[in-house]
Amino acid sequence: MSNLISGEFLALLGGALAALFAGIGSAKGVGIAGEAAAGVVSEDPNKFGQVLLLQALPGTQGIYGLLIAFIVMVKVGLLSGSMAELSVVQGASIFAACMPIAFVGLISGISQGKAAAAGVMLVGKKPSELAKGMLFAAMVETYAVLALLVSFLMLNGIQV
Amino acid sequence: MAVVEMRKLTVIGLNSSRFSFIRELMHLGVVEINSQEGVVNDEEWMPDIFRTSNSADVSRLEADIARVSTALEAIGKYDSAKKPLFLSRKEMDRATFADYMDQVKTETERNVDAAVMAYKGIADSQTEINRLRTLITGLKPWEKLDIPLEEKETEFACVILGVAPVKTDTGKLITAALEGAPSAVVEEISADKQQRYYSVICLKEERDKLFEALRPFNFGAIALSEQNGTPAEIIKHHEKTISELETGIVEKQKKLAELSPARPNIEYLYDNLVMRRDGERIIGDMLNTEAVFYFDGWMPRAAQPEVEDLLKKYECYYNIEEPAPDEDVPVLLNNNSLVTPFEAVTGMYSLPSRSDIDPTKFLAPFYFIFFGMMLSDAAYGIILSLGCAVLLKKYKLEGTTFRMIKMFFFCGISTFIWGLLFGGWFGDFFTVAAKTIFNKDFVIEPLWFNPLNEPMRLLVVSLILGAIHLFTGMAIQAYMHIRDGHPLDALFDIGLWYVLLIGIVMFGFGGSVSAGLTNVGKIMAIVGAVGILLTGGRKNKGIFGKIKGGLGSLYGITSYLSDVLSYSRLLALGLATGVVAQVINMLGSLAGGGVGGTILLLVVFLFGTIFNIAINALGAFVHSCRLQYVEFFGKFYTGGGRPFVPFERKTKYIKILKEGKNNE
Repeated sequence: MSNLISGEFLALLGGALAALFAGIGSAKGVGIAGEAAAGVVSEDPNKFGQVLLLQALPGTQGIYGLLIAFIVMVKVGLLSGSMAELSVVQGASIFAACMPIAFVGLISGISQGKAAAAGVMLVGKKPSELAKGMLFAAMVETYAVLALLVSFLMLNGIQV
Repeated sequence: MAVVEMRKLTVIGLNSSRFSFIRELMHLGVVEINSQEGVVNDEEWMPDIFRTSNSADVSRLEADIARVSTALEAIGKYDSAKKPLFLSRKEMDRATFADYMDQVKTETERNVDAAVMAYKGIADSQTEINRLRTLITGLKPWEKLDIPLEEKETEFACVILGVAPVKTDTGKLITAALEGAPSAVVEEISADKQQRYYSVICLKEERDKLFEALRPFNFGAIALSEQNGTPAEIIKHHEKTISELETGIVEKQKKLAELSPARPNIEYLYDNLVMRRDGERIIGDMLNTEAVFYFDGWMPRAAQPEVEDLLKKYECYYNIEEPAPDEDVPVLLNNNSLVTPFEAVTGMYSLPSRSDIDPTKFLAPFYFIFFGMMLSDAAYGIILSLGCAVLLKKYKLEGTTFRMIKMFFFCGISTFIWGLLFGGWFGDFFTVAAKTIFNKDFVIEPLWFNPLNEPMRLLVVSLILGAIHLFTGMAIQAYMHIRDGHPLDALFDIGLWYVLLIGIVMFGFGGSVSAGLTNVGKIMAIVGAVGILLTGGRKNKGIFGKIKGGLGSLYGITSYLSDVLSYSRLLALGLATGVVAQVINMLGSLAGGGVGGTILLLVVFLFGTIFNIAINALGAFVHSCRLQYVEFFGKFYTGGGRPFVPFERKTKYIKILKEGKNNE
């Protein structure tokens, strides 16, 4: 049990949570937008391309989570085969650095999915307003971008 | 000016030359005609002035159009030729088109009729097939019954067909039936998942008793629809009919497919009809008296000479004037060929209102830079530009599609440049490939620096670019204030902010350049802040209003902070592309070298790259737009202009060339 609270474990836990939560957020968000998109396409199959763009928007959080998890893996040397020796403080720092994208990714993914679904409805009624629908969804993404940035800069600053 | 200057046009012409005049006007395609609906409300004028009611003509043409488009739909459905990705219009000059239409008209009409007939025939046959299939399904359980269905009774006996639930024990049912009606002959014909099917023959007088005896079994008589023959015969007959109908459908489909060479002509006919309908509609929109017609509308100033020539030719009375300041003038943008593609970005937001200036040429360079920074991979840029170039070359694109593709072509160039600067070529593909396949070290050095190693440096670059973008927006607002005769607004609302913001930056970061800058910055920041505090509330009444206004505007500094920080997405999205590309390359290299490893690397690389370009180009597009719409437009732009919609040929398939100038 005492081996569990090691630096290596904490670091990997952080990376895992980043991929996990952000991934869940995106999965939910893309799902919500997809349901709305299918509804619009059932009325007018020609709008497929437009609504697909909107459905793709909440997918980025998952990518950001993956990105942070990947950087953690590179940092602790998991991918090169020789794991670095991490102190508990180092591990805990990496864990902390992963939290912004984990939590903001989760919530913003879902919220962006809802905004994208509303954008899909907008396109269903007014196909020429696609850009505005996309913009509403992109407003939500700003915060995922900021969280990604914080996570990234923190990870970048932690010396291993 | 980037917004085209408009002139208001008022025309009175003779009814006798109305049709050819309208046709010529449509050919010019530079005048927007206002609808005159509800313009004349004066009782005195009402009897003499009227709008030609030609709605019957219009609806006749509409019906024709609907018929032709059905024909096109029918042929399109069975046309085996590949459909192009983008529709491009065939170019033809006017006389050629008219001659051509005369020449092929009869034949094309015949083809349209044939196509519509065949299409309708297919639909009818399909309905009939469905009806017969339903009948067959109903008869299927009775297939083994050897009594013709029309044979319902003889002189003494009757035939009863009925069903009972599937759990029924047939033996018990027969016993019960015989008890009630000794003459009964019960036969189980078939059974499916829900029901058992029985035929019962008994004497007519025992019929009621039989039903009484069978009631506990939930036996119910059913009536089959009026058909002659045994069920097996009927089913066979229906199946024959179905196969005949199906052959008919295949034949008709073949016929439609054979009509596909006639398709272009039908498309031209469609366009021809659309043009005629639009002409009729415009006539319906005009005001008329017995002898003359009247309309008003808008045209770009540049088009004035050619419109005047036309008006003189038709001996119209006309008047051309500058629009009044409060009039709702339609908006048309005109920029040079480098900037025009970015009109798509402006158009997606909203066209400039009359007090706005066209933001396109200001946003174009920033859009170019931002998009490239967010995608920032030289190889992706080449792919994007090449793809767009091929599309532009292969299809004659027009309108928004053309602008978008051209814009992405430019953005690809920008992506390439940023990729060079940051050293991204499919991420680090060539390094990984050299290591995995050839076991060699090979690095493409960035021309500037690698953002993955120095993210803080790129963050600073992003924020500086953002500040330039914002300052540009503020400068445009200042220009607009001065243009409208409010130089003080420009000084107080923009100038003081410049002083404050530049001061803060110098105070914060100037120390690293020279110590003097910090002090200058400090003074500038204080001057700016005090100035804003004093002038921010100048339009409010009362001392409290003024103080509140001043504090309120100074508090606006938080919005500048968040605006600038918003540009950190330039870094974040650029990193996202780079890191995802690296993840792909690393996944591909996991199997190591050798033939298998190389193949895996290439396969993973191919699909991963397609995915990465797709998702990140979308991100770059959306976020570049957002930076323009929210941060940049927020500083000076209102929008809400009405697009200029000239009365012209709205053709889908053919582009009629204008004499003299072939490209607008």
